[in-house]
Formats: sequence, structure tokens, C-alpha cells
Amino acid sequence: MRRIVWLLALLPVLLALVLAAGCGGDDDDGGDAGGDTGATDTGGGGEASGEPIRIGASLPLTGDFAEPGEAARRGYEVWMEMVNESGGLLGRPVEMVIKDDQSDQNLVVTDYNALIEQDQVDLLLGTFSSLLNIPASAVAERAQMVYVEPAGGSPDMFNRGFEYLFFAQQATAPHQADLFSEWVTGLPEGERPATAAYVAADDPFGAPVAEGIQEQLEAAGVETVYSEIYPPETVNFDAIAADIAAQKPDVIAQGSAGLQDGVNLITALGAAGYSPKQMFQASTPSFADQYSDAIGVENTEGIFYAVSYHVDAPTPGNAEFLEAYRAKYDNEDPAEDAADGYAAAQVLQAAVEAVGSIDDQAALKDWLHENSVETILGELSWDETGAPEQAFLLAQWQNGDEEIVLPEDAATSDTIVNPKPPWTGR
Amino acid sequence: MTQLIQTIVLGLLLGGVYALLASGLTLIFGVMDVINVAQGALIILSAFITWAAWSETGLDPLLGVLVTTPAMFLIGFGIYMASVRWIQGKPPSTSVILTFGLALIIEGVMGMVWTATLHRATPAYFNQSFTIGDIYLRKGQVYACAIAIGVLAVLYVILRVTWLGRAIRAVSANMSSARLVGVNPSTVAALTFAVGVATAGAGGSLASVLYPFLPASHYAWISRLLGIIVLGGMGSLPGAVVGALLLGVAETMTQTYVSPQWATLVPWAVIMLVLLLRPQGLMGQKLREDVAL
Repeated sequence: MRRIVWLLALLPVLLALVLAAGCGGDDDDGGDAGGDTGATDTGGGGEASGEPIRIGASLPLTGDFAEPGEAARRGYEVWMEMVNESGGLLGRPVEMVIKDDQSDQNLVVTDYNALIEQDQVDLLLGTFSSLLNIPASAVAERAQMVYVEPAGGSPDMFNRGFEYLFFAQQATAPHQADLFSEWVTGLPEGERPATAAYVAADDPFGAPVAEGIQEQLEAAGVETVYSEIYPPETVNFDAIAADIAAQKPDVIAQGSAGLQDGVNLITALGAAGYSPKQMFQASTPSFADQYSDAIGVENTEGIFYAVSYHVDAPTPGNAEFLEAYRAKYDNEDPAEDAADGYAAAQVLQAAVEAVGSIDDQAALKDWLHENSVETILGELSWDETGAPEQAFLLAQWQNGDEEIVLPEDAATSDTIVNPKPPWTGR
Repeated sequence: MTQLIQTIVLGLLLGGVYALLASGLTLIFGVMDVINVAQGALIILSAFITWAAWSETGLDPLLGVLVTTPAMFLIGFGIYMASVRWIQGKPPSTSVILTFGLALIIEGVMGMVWTATLHRATPAYFNQSFTIGDIYLRKGQVYACAIAIGVLAVLYVILRVTWLGRAIRAVSANMSSARLVGVNPSTVAALTFAVGVATAGAGGSLASVLYPFLPASHYAWISRLLGIIVLGGMGSLPGAVVGALLLGVAETMTQTYVSPQWATLVPWAVIMLVLLLRPQGLMGQKLREDVAL
């Protein structure tokens, strides 16, 4: 009996060790990053001096959104180092205060309250995902502080009458696929699709994306033959794929921010032996190797998706961002979420530099509402709710690579694969 | 009509996969009164081993079953000797806590070795199907069902014909009498636990082809599997099979004829209904305590 008690007592300790070992790496990264910034007070455009401007953010560095959260942190840190190297913000050095909200809606509220009340930061930057930004932006709004968020395009973000909220990507979820809808309905007579199927995850992002496409395609006369919402944790898509296949739609569009559900739908469609002429998935195909490994790289050919950033984009400042990012992170290319984080910080920087002061947050938000900002994602501007007014890039998998196909001035490939070739193995 | 048949076929195939994954869980509970919450994590561990062998050497996941089954047998034996044997004879709730801890440790180790990213073995047949007329049967699921039948047949033979099987059933029926006739209950328990974990080897190999997985995927599997064995009657092998097929068909029928939105709810509604009408599950034995009242 004593031994059992002993064992049970030992288990949590073992567990804690395992967890500590897992998190250890992250802590080291954070430490290094802090060290680097301390040393970067020499640079090209003069020296930053005086008391640092402190910018607070909470990010999901652990938990469900740990991967994109870490990417966003890298984007923020690279921006901070680049600003400090070129003379700082308003001549003062910038210091980031980043907390970990563990992908938890309650903790993110605690974190932003602490950043404002205890750390008394000068400026704020947002967190990752609509799920976390919805409560976090409410804290910032109450404190009347400008809140630029890098990822969170749910319509629920922008229907609360907030004035200090700005979303630093090109468009909200219902407009995620605008370029795809325009392209597919603009196809010449005979190639234009007659029918379409829509399937979306039941979350604040997935459903609005699919609804947006459905609305635009129906307006152009494309008949809807299937439209269903599924719980995000759905694993088995066999029956859904069989039902879609039975309708033989020309277009299949899936709204989902996840990876597994998108992969499972593709596999189930392959098993059902049905390949549509055009296949659009909101975010799943942007997971790069994890996506192509899980569905087989041959099966990626011709699949469309919307994306905010591409490493080869000819946008102003992108070359400098890439150079700094690769230098800091072992020659790795930045993930889309890192670029989004960087762009959010660029937006804040533009407002501060234009206003010339950080003392008046209302002046900052007024300036952002009235002006547009050049970022590595392209030019961004906002309506009165803080929702952006541009369009996402339309990307497509071609020959095992991710290419931008529209708009033409940002395209990395001059062809569009159409119609999508059949799945392999059939 | 085609749609109805197709939906039922898809459900039965899905149920076959569930049956394969649930068999070890119900065996371990039936003999040992241990609820092995780590079974899901062990299935994912086997999936990772299968994936590693497939991506390193090109070993087909179907042949991988021949590697993972003995490997998981040894791992199961090791886990029993190191931990589970200390709680033998304690209430089943103790085993839930212990094996949940084991599941978390296994998840952590898998995360360190293979990282928390999505994996999947994609042999040529991973998204292929057999077709009969207008009906298609996904190859990976057909193989999984065949292996499930094989595993269940082997378990049946072991339990009915071999000395070990008779000893297992003796211990399960009455431990002290089994001891009197020369059966060593702790050896029997160790082997039962190892056999139960070995079934996770076959299940994990097939799951690695059917669905992408990451270390945390075991939560989704274990909740579904516990539901199946409760529905079938805890400890009953035939019950697990019937419960698995029933849930598989309920899931696909709901997706097609109601809405995918309800598909995660309906299986649990079926389980609740069965338990209200038949608290011991479809094929479970009533416990003696119930009868004595």
C-alpha cells in the first residue's frame, strides 16, 4: 500500500519534469532574444536614446495555438530589433513586454489587464486568433488604448462598435476568398462552374469564410448542392465526402482554420473517388509540409487557398524583413503568422511616427482610421470598425510548391492550374 | 438507395476500426478491473512507431503490424511490471488515475521525440478504395476490419483453447479459487495486460494510415473507445464489437441524414439511452451486487 502511495506521489513529479523539459527550450529562446536586444544599440540610422518605449502583448506561446503564437512572437521581436537598429521609435529604444496566455481566453484578459495596470506599458499589440482577440481587445478598448491585432478576422471582432481596434491583415473572414470567388465566376462561358458544395468548421472563422464564398457564387448563379457545418473536432469525413461526391459539384469550398479537418476531408474525397474542378480550402493548405505530407504531395496540385503573405512578395520592406528574420533564425523562412505579427507592429509604428507622440492614444486611432499604411502585406486601410478593406492573396499549390496566383502584381506564378487534376491513386 | 447502402457500409467499416481499437481496452477491464486510460496514448505510440518505420525504411504499415504487435506486447508487460501491478485489487478508479498519468507521460515523450506536429503514413492505398457497383469501400478500413477480425479470432482462441486463456478466465471469475488450483494470478494479469496493449499495436498501425495524428490525438480516441465499451458492456469482447459497429453506423447515418453538426452528439445520446434501459450495457453481465439487492 505504501508503495502505491509513493508511486502516485511520484507521477506528478515525473510529469512536471517532462513538461519542464518540454518548455525549457522555449525559455532559452526567450532569454536569447532578450540578450540580443540588449546588445543591438549600434545601427544604421543613428542611435536610439532615452527611456525605452514599452510595448505590451500577450501571445499563446503554449497550448493549442502555440505554433502560430511563437511565430507571431518572432515577428514582433524582429520588428523591435530592426527599429532599434535604425534609431528607435521617435528616437527612443523599443522594449517588448510579451506574456504567455497559454491559448486561454481568461488568461489573455488577465495578461492585458496586467500589462496596462501593473507593467504600465506605453503601447499595445494584439494576440493571435479571433478566439483570444475578442476578449483581449475589449480590455484595450476599455482602457482606450490602440489595439492592432495580427490574426483574428472573425466578423464577431468588428460588430461591437470598438474604435481602438485594428486588424492588420487584408480582409475579414467573409472576404477571405474574394479573389477566388471573382476568378471562378469570371471564367469564360463553358468553364464557369454550375454547382458548388460548401462545408465549414463550426468556429468563428470557418463558417463565415464558407458563407462568404457561397453568397458570392450564388449571386453569380452558381447553384448550391451541399452546405453543411461540422464540429471542429470531427475526424471521420467519410459520410460527408460520400454525400458531396454524390452531388458531383464543380466547386468544393471548405472553411476551416485547422489542419486535421482539412486533411481528413481531402483523404475522404480521395477515397470517394471524387475530384472537383476547383477546390478551395481556407487555411489548411498554408500549413506547408505538414499539409503536403499528410495528403500526399501529388494530391496538393491545383488546390486554392487564401493567404496574407508570401516570402517572395514584392511589397515594400519585405526584403529587409526577410534578411533580418533569416539572420536571427538560422536562415529559416518566416511563417505567415510571423509576417502578420511584423505587419501589425509596422501599423502601430506608422501611427506613432505620423502623430509624433505616444501620449494621445485617441490621436493614434484617429490617424489610423483616416490613413493607410504600407506594410510587408501591402497597403492596409480600415473602415470605422477597424476591419481592413483590402483583399487576401489567392494562392495555389503547383508542382509541390505554394504559389501566389492573384492579384497579378503580387503573383509568383503566371499560370493557374485549372481544372484541378484528379487525386492520385484513382 | 445507393446512398443508404453506402452510408451503412461506411458506418460498418468505421465500426470495424473502432472494434479493433476497443478490443484491448475491454479485455484488460474484463479480466483485471483496470480501466486503461492510457490505451489511446499507446495506440498513438504504435502509430508513431509505424510511421517512423514507414518513413525510414518504407515498411508497409500493414506489415508494420508484425513489428508493432510484439513491440507493444513488451511495452505492455513493462508498464504492468513497473506500475499497474501495484494497484491490482484496488478499486478501478485508482487505475484511472494511474493510467491517466501514464497517458500524459507517453504523450510528453512522443512530443519530445517526434514533435507536436501532424504525422501520417501515406502508402499508395491510403486514399484508395475497392468498388462494388456504385458502392466504395476504403482500402485502409477494409484492411483494418480484416485485422480486427483476425485479432478478435486470436483473442477468442487464446481465451477458449490455451492454458493461458483458461487461467485468464479463471482469474476473472474467481481469483482465490484460481489460486487454489495452481494459477498464479499476477503472472496471468501481467500477460493479460500485455496482450491487451498488443492489440493497440495493430490498431495504431492501421490508424496511422487512416487518420493523421499528433501526440495529443489520444484524448479524442480514448473518449470514443470508453464510450464503445460502456455501450457494449464493460469487459465483454462481443459487446465491444457490437457497440463499435452500432456507433460507427450511428455516426455516418447522422452525418448523412441529419447533419454533420449532430454527428458528435448522437453516439453519446445512443449510449445514454442504452444505459438508461440496460445499465450493464448491451452484452455486459449484471454484477452480483446488483442481484443480491
